[in-house]
Amino acid sequence: MSQQSVMGQAVAQPIPRKKKSSLRANEAWLGWLLVLPALIVVLGMVGYPFIEAIRISFTDRMIGRGPGHWVGLKNYAYVLTWPSFDKMVLRTIAFTIAAVSVKTVVGLILACALNQPFRGRNILRGTFMIPWILPSYIAVLVWKWIFDGQTGVLNQILMNWSLIEKNIPFLARQWSAIGLLIFVMVWKGYPFYALTFLAGMQTISPELYDAAKVDGAGRFGRFWYITLPSLRPVMGVVILLSTIWTMNTLDIPLLLTGGGPSDYTEVFPLLTYHLALQNFRLGEGAAVPILMLPIIAILVYAVATYMDKEANA
Amino acid sequence: MIQLLDRIPDAVFRVLSVIVMAFLLILVIFPVYFMATTAFKIEREIYSELTWIPVHPTLDNFDAVINSFRIPIYLRNTLIVAGITTSIVVVISVLAGYSLTRLQFPGRSILARGVLFVYLIPGSLMLIPMYLIIIKMRLQDTYMGLVLANMSFAVPFCTWLMMGYLRSLSAEIEEAALIDGCNRLSALWYVVVPLSLPGIVTAAIFIFNGVWNEFIFALILTQDEAHRMISVGLSNFYRSDYYMIGPMMAGALIAMIPVVLIYIMAQRFVVGGLAAGAVKG
Repeated sequence: MSQQSVMGQAVAQPIPRKKKSSLRANEAWLGWLLVLPALIVVLGMVGYPFIEAIRISFTDRMIGRGPGHWVGLKNYAYVLTWPSFDKMVLRTIAFTIAAVSVKTVVGLILACALNQPFRGRNILRGTFMIPWILPSYIAVLVWKWIFDGQTGVLNQILMNWSLIEKNIPFLARQWSAIGLLIFVMVWKGYPFYALTFLAGMQTISPELYDAAKVDGAGRFGRFWYITLPSLRPVMGVVILLSTIWTMNTLDIPLLLTGGGPSDYTEVFPLLTYHLALQNFRLGEGAAVPILMLPIIAILVYAVATYMDKEANA
Repeated sequence: MIQLLDRIPDAVFRVLSVIVMAFLLILVIFPVYFMATTAFKIEREIYSELTWIPVHPTLDNFDAVINSFRIPIYLRNTLIVAGITTSIVVVISVLAGYSLTRLQFPGRSILARGVLFVYLIPGSLMLIPMYLIIIKMRLQDTYMGLVLANMSFAVPFCTWLMMGYLRSLSAEIEEAALIDGCNRLSALWYVVVPLSLPGIVTAAIFIFNGVWNEFIFALILTQDEAHRMISVGLSNFYRSDYYMIGPMMAGALIAMIPVVLIYIMAQRFVVGGLAAGAVKG
């Protein structure tokens, strides 16, 4: 399965099949019948909430104060004129680009390393899955304690090695907090990249490499001219999907930094959470992700067209 | 440039890849190792002496976390919600996935395309309306509310996974069954389901893990301790001013056991499903 479906998921399009017309009439109602339960769940638990989110963003609804009143574009005006909104948008984009590019590079390097035959490779591959299978809340709790300014392990180690004079509150300083948030997101995410890239690499025919060797390509040349182009479909899908997920990550920043120090790590899902569930201002909270929708829509559109293009290539 | 890089001898690459792997391996092992050993340390050892192996191994932290922090209740709740969600979603998604890949009917291609879009709707957008809907339905602090909220991401995801799997599966055996007089439903039950069992198991594992790892809905949809999920129960350790590192690490160790066990048992399925490129990461 692994070999085909790497490409399969990226490129799959329904294969047109000829069917008898009597079968087809029967299939129409059966098809809808089988889709119906999923459709009800999606319409009820995704479609309806989606429309509700848009509607709420035009009201002054607050938690515990009834349905609220129509206020038009006031929430949007409030959020947009909020002094650090543009900074928040840029910050979200910067965090996403930083995390995704580091994940891609580290994932690619690790996949290349794991693609060499050596003893214990399977055990090692399993071990590298740990960050990915570990629940985010556990990973964040452990890292948060390691970076802690009072009793953190990192501070204890640095003190023991006499590298620092006194404890550093890593998560309370602007640049170390930003760096560590990206670090934890990368730590959690790169195994997924490495393992999908590795699965993609294993579908590349060894004959291609042999031919390149005959033509005098060295190790780097083979990587550049064969591995990278062959991986392109897998990499494209993984990077695009992961960009969307990384951008929408709420639990890691919420648990690790909570947006602090000040608001240096306040990304857009966190701002929604803070406005809606800490300040109880549901209308303004709902307006934030809706303002971010254009960026996400462009990414989703890119994923869809990319998959179609690879399907027809 | 490429020619220049090509002159680097193979041995250099080999040494580099060992160094890179060793470095990454340390970063993977370090936090897990510290979590596991700290769970067995006494308080003084955690806060004031940095030890690599517990000098005075103790089970006090586990005792505290099981008997005073109600971790067993949180685990039970999470198990119930994850179990119910997984069983409902797998059935719904196998039916939908089969219909969207194998049957021809008007509207199919729009629905099939919609699955991806629905799956990629940002979670932060769903946060507020989901909270209000669950409250309106009076489902806060119930398993049902958590199941419904988790289904909102599990159904599109699992359907997408099943569609990918079914497309990689040849339709020929199924068509032979149809010619032999099976109708669509019996072909689905007797042919497609057994053949796609690896895909179904993968989907089930991902959903179970997804619910086990879910934090935000669990946080906003439950106040009551009797219905608290493990994710919220554990992170509450950090929300108080005083960090109880020992019990927290013991709790984390207990909470990660189910996902690690499932992963070890089903590793070959998971790696295959991962390759389907449809997994959150």
